[in-house]
Parts: sequence; C-alpha cells; structure tokens
Amino acid sequence: MAIIVNLDVMMAKRKISSNELAEKVGITAANLSILKTGKAKAVRFSTLDKICEVLECQPGDILEHI
Amino acid sequence: MVNELTGWSEMKSLKLSRFLVAGLFFLLIVLLFTAHLIAEWFSIISVGKGLINTERLDIVVTVMIYICDVFAITAVLKLNKLLSNIAKNEVFIDENTRCLRIISWCIVFAGITFSVFSLWRYEFLFAAFFALFLGLVMRVLKNVFEKAVELKSENDFTI
Repeated sequence: MAIIVNLDVMMAKRKISSNELAEKVGITAANLSILKTGKAKAVRFSTLDKICEVLECQPGDILEHI
Repeated sequence: MVNELTGWSEMKSLKLSRFLVAGLFFLLIVLLFTAHLIAEWFSIISVGKGLINTERLDIVVTVMIYICDVFAITAVLKLNKLLSNIAKNEVFIDENTRCLRIISWCIVFAGITFSVFSLWRYEFLFAAFFALFLGLVMRVLKNVFEKAVELKSENDFTI
C-alpha cells in the first residue's frame, strides 16, 4: 500500500509509550501495534481524531503517501 | 441464543447437525462393505436401459458406488471439520472456505461419475443432474463465504 504510518516517529517526538497512547486514545495495545506496523487496512476518523488530539499533531504528520 | 417459541438453542442445533453428520458417516462406511449387495439388488430390480448393455450390471453399479462413496466420505469429513470450527466460534476463516470448496468439488465429481455411469442406465442422469446442481449451489455458497472472510478481515483490521 502506498500509505505509510509514521506513528512511531510522532510518538518518539512526544515521548509517549505505546501503552500510554493506547490508553489515552481508547484502543487496545494490540490494535495500536497493528496501526504502527502498517497492517491496518483502514483507520476510523474518530480514532485518527483522538490520536491527533493526544499527540497534538495533524493527520499528515502520522500518515504519508509515497 | 435460545428461540423463545421452540426453546431450541444454537448449541443444540449445532449438536444435532454434528450428530446427523456422524450418522451419515457411519452409513457411508456401512455402504463401503455392502456396496456389492446393493448393486446386486439394483441389477435385479432395474428395468431401465442405457447406451451400453451388460449382463454384469452389478459390477458397474458396485464400481459407481465405491467411487461416489469416496467423494461422499471426503465431503462428510469436511462437513464435520466445518461444524467443529463453527463450534469453536471460528466461522469466517480461510479453512472453512477451503472446506466448502472441497465439498463443492466432491459433489461435482460425484455428478460427473453419475453422468458417466448413465451410459449403462439412463436413470443415473437424474442423480447426476441433482448432484451437479447441488455442487453449483455449494460453489456459490463458497464464493459468498470467501467474500465474507475478506470483509471480516477488513473489519478486523480497521482501527
């Protein structure tokens, strides 16, 4: 797929752990791992909204089209 | 979930299906050992015709029963696998699609076998038609299942 997820880069910038992010976003650590490893087939707007809110960033900072 | 009208639950229904499949498997094993007797009985009562006329119709029917029995046993074993997966709550998985595909092919091959043996007796064409029709239904069901597995995978990987 031409979309890559740069979630780990943003998480490193914000110095937040996977478990903490998963808890704040309201998803399981397993689902966050699926998202981070690029195995996810789709992301809900509500999940993306929460992630952006917690990481204080834009969707473009997390998702990239190559 | 229990049906309020009948009191019949999903688990009971599954158990009944598994019981019937086990019963059918037993009958098919019995058929393996009694095929020659059934063939002899058939050759005595059969008054039909075919393209090929033979004195030893019992041998032809015995061979046909053996071939179809192998397909039927394979299909029943796959049915049992399908039911055991459903009991484990693993419904929309690739293995179940594979089971349905094998069942469908078994029925189609049984239909082809009946068609070939209709050269000796035309009445086998009826069995061939029903088998091929059922094989086609199973194939469509397999296609639906395949799509359902894909949709479930998409749903599972939507975060």
